Amino acid sequence: MSIRIQGVTKCYGRMRAVDNISLEVEPGTVFAFLGPNGAGKTTTIKMLAGLLTPDSGSIEVCGLPMSGDAVEAKSRIAYVPDQPFLYDKLSAREFLRFVGQMYSLDNERIEERSRHYMRRLAIEGFADQLIEGYSHGMKQKTVLAAAMLHEPDVLIVDEPMVGLDPAGMRIVKGLFRDWADSGRAVFMSTHTLDMAEAIADHIAIINQGQIVACGTLNDLKTRAAREHRLEDIFLDLTTEPEEPPETDELAMAR
Amino acid sequence: MGHTTSTTAPVATADFAAPGFGLLLRLKLTLLRNRIGQLVNQSPIKLLLVVVFMTTIWCSLYFVFDLVFRHMRKWEHQSSVAIPYVFHIFFVAMSFLLAFSTAVLIYGALFGRAEPSFLLAAPNRSRNVVAVMFLEAMFFASWSLVLLGMPLMLAIGQSQGHGFWFYATFLLTFLAFVPIPSALGMCVAWAVAMWIPRSAKKATFLAGGISLFAAVLWWGRLWIGRSDDAAEWLRRFMTEMEILRPALLPSTWVTHAIKYSMEGKTADALFYLGVTLSTALFFSWVAINIVGRGLFTAFGRAHAIPVRASASNGRASRWLTDALFFYRPAKVRALILKDVRTFLRDPIQWAQLVILFGLLSLYLAYLPRTRPDGFSLQWKALISFLNYGAVTLILSTFTSRFVFPMISIEGRQMWLVGLWPLSRAKVMWAKFDFALTITAFAALSVTWLSIRALNLPWGLAMIQAGGTLSACVGLCGLAVGLGARIPSYREANTGRIASGLGGTVNLMASIGLVAATVALMGLICSHMAGTETLHRLDRTVMLLYAGQIVLGIGVAVAAMQIGVRSFKTAEF
Repeated sequence: MSIRIQGVTKCYGRMRAVDNISLEVEPGTVFAFLGPNGAGKTTTIKMLAGLLTPDSGSIEVCGLPMSGDAVEAKSRIAYVPDQPFLYDKLSAREFLRFVGQMYSLDNERIEERSRHYMRRLAIEGFADQLIEGYSHGMKQKTVLAAAMLHEPDVLIVDEPMVGLDPAGMRIVKGLFRDWADSGRAVFMSTHTLDMAEAIADHIAIINQGQIVACGTLNDLKTRAAREHRLEDIFLDLTTEPEEPPETDELAMAR
Repeated sequence: MGHTTSTTAPVATADFAAPGFGLLLRLKLTLLRNRIGQLVNQSPIKLLLVVVFMTTIWCSLYFVFDLVFRHMRKWEHQSSVAIPYVFHIFFVAMSFLLAFSTAVLIYGALFGRAEPSFLLAAPNRSRNVVAVMFLEAMFFASWSLVLLGMPLMLAIGQSQGHGFWFYATFLLTFLAFVPIPSALGMCVAWAVAMWIPRSAKKATFLAGGISLFAAVLWWGRLWIGRSDDAAEWLRRFMTEMEILRPALLPSTWVTHAIKYSMEGKTADALFYLGVTLSTALFFSWVAINIVGRGLFTAFGRAHAIPVRASASNGRASRWLTDALFFYRPAKVRALILKDVRTFLRDPIQWAQLVILFGLLSLYLAYLPRTRPDGFSLQWKALISFLNYGAVTLILSTFTSRFVFPMISIEGRQMWLVGLWPLSRAKVMWAKFDFALTITAFAALSVTWLSIRALNLPWGLAMIQAGGTLSACVGLCGLAVGLGARIPSYREANTGRIASGLGGTVNLMASIGLVAATVALMGLICSHMAGTETLHRLDRTVMLLYAGQIVLGIGVAVAAMQIGVRSFKTAEF
């Protein structure tokens, strides 16, 4: 199993940002993790990446526990946050070299893979310029290239399409699909439902910290008992107009 | 995916070897190299200005220290007692400054959002991340103190005629000493993230402010006394100074090492150098291990709790804005309200004003008690001139750091402000009004204290107050005007905007204005002291005073006109 989350809960003070969720992601799949703002997606992803520790429950990546330093588990994943970090005073080439060295790749392999992913993501032309001069889309592509450099078993991506133009989106969709087809897993959180519908093998919907639906797109459609688009199913499961609006504190915490 | 399938299985294996500390260190060195390279290639003028400024500061410090130590050398016995006290004071003050600045830097480096998330999600050992951040924070926290320490060392060495061994011991003990307070600072930063992450900024500034005020209170107390009981005062002074020399304080070891090297006692000096170095290594090791082990928990806590502004703050700031800017239309007041709230909710901004002017106020509060029989006319003129210089210098640093970036930051929000039914000129004048109100309130309060402390006659008092106000007008006008003329719309960080090319030009212009206005105040005070009257404003004084007022207003109007013209046509 690429990812196994069992009974994980994370609280911020008295608020349950993630409430007893369990998920499994198999190798060879693109797993879309959907939910409205403040539902607990980013908290779940940060726990998966080892940045936050669950209050209860366990997380395993490729059979390795993800807690504390978890160097073994982290060497098997790549994490691209919603607002990725890049060193402004490095060039893309220098950044990729540094990332490759962090994952103990030899120089030859770093060069070969850097060239490959920079070409595929169309960032070769500005690879030797300092990153501070890049547009948002260029930065996003550089981060994705860095994430794929060590060819992780699990790619964890929070909002991968932000800042990308249509051509960039198509490239990224192709990359994710190829990634899964080569026996690895992609775990992505997104608000771009069309993308999830197009490439995801499995979909989970989280709302108010709990998984409210999980399965293939067809499973979700069956459960909805109607031939809906994913957008309709998502809104059916996550919109509760009679509930009072969520507090800012809860939204920020998640 | 052709490429992926052609490569071998994923490189990560069950016995993955985490990258070492060296890789992260090389990364930091590469960043430093690229930053310097960029500065040399793209902003040589800025680099030149920085070098000129640093050299000027360094030479001035050396000159002052050299003067002091050569003067002290006239009294051989007294200087042999006094010089170790200089080191005690220097290293105790350095301990606090290093611990405080390392704590601030480490908090951002380990518990901020961007870089730590990136490094901790990668297969790095947390201890390695902590170690490299510790080194980086120590480097940035100590370089300015090295700048201060080197002229001190050279001045003593030159004036006392010491040889190579003195310089070597001084440098080595200095470097060995730095990690001790820095390690404590790192543990404090970690404790803040663990237990009070919600009020981290407030706690830091409160702790820094209280420590500074306590130091100034203590220092001020030393100087209180009657002018006719010098022996008693000296005895009390030396007794008070004893608190700086407990045997277990690292600053005492460093002082002993330097003192023994000056006396040629090599073995004793080496002993204290060894004690300092081994303590530094032990403290660093302990701090890196404590913070490394608790890093993930502290990181999680620092990111878990959101900060909320209380509603009462909102009401108070609205009331304050309406009261202070009643003469402005409602739309302009709404714009000013945004800046007032930003100012009140950013402790870095108000804390700088409160701390700097607070320290000056404390000194002024003590001033009358150091001379219960009052100051002579010449002393009054001299001290009021020096106070004016201190106030205007503090004002220039504040306007350069916080007022100058305001237009650049506003420019980033032009999608909002640009669509308001409000001319861009009015936006700029609103910024000017806001900055002038804040700075004038703080500066005039301190000036009033100075007038009271020195019991100045109305003539010089009026000149002090008017001169301070005209300096506020000039400095705010310069900062807002040049902020619009040389903006950095792409930069979101106010610190970086202030330290950019535009910020440097503004700082130079502000210092130029301060130098000119302080020179005029110097001429006024000197003339009044020479004519032995501080209440009569003769023709010369009135001319100089008018020149000072015209200078402040003229600079403000000219800078604002240039700024408005540029801001009106700016494209975003």
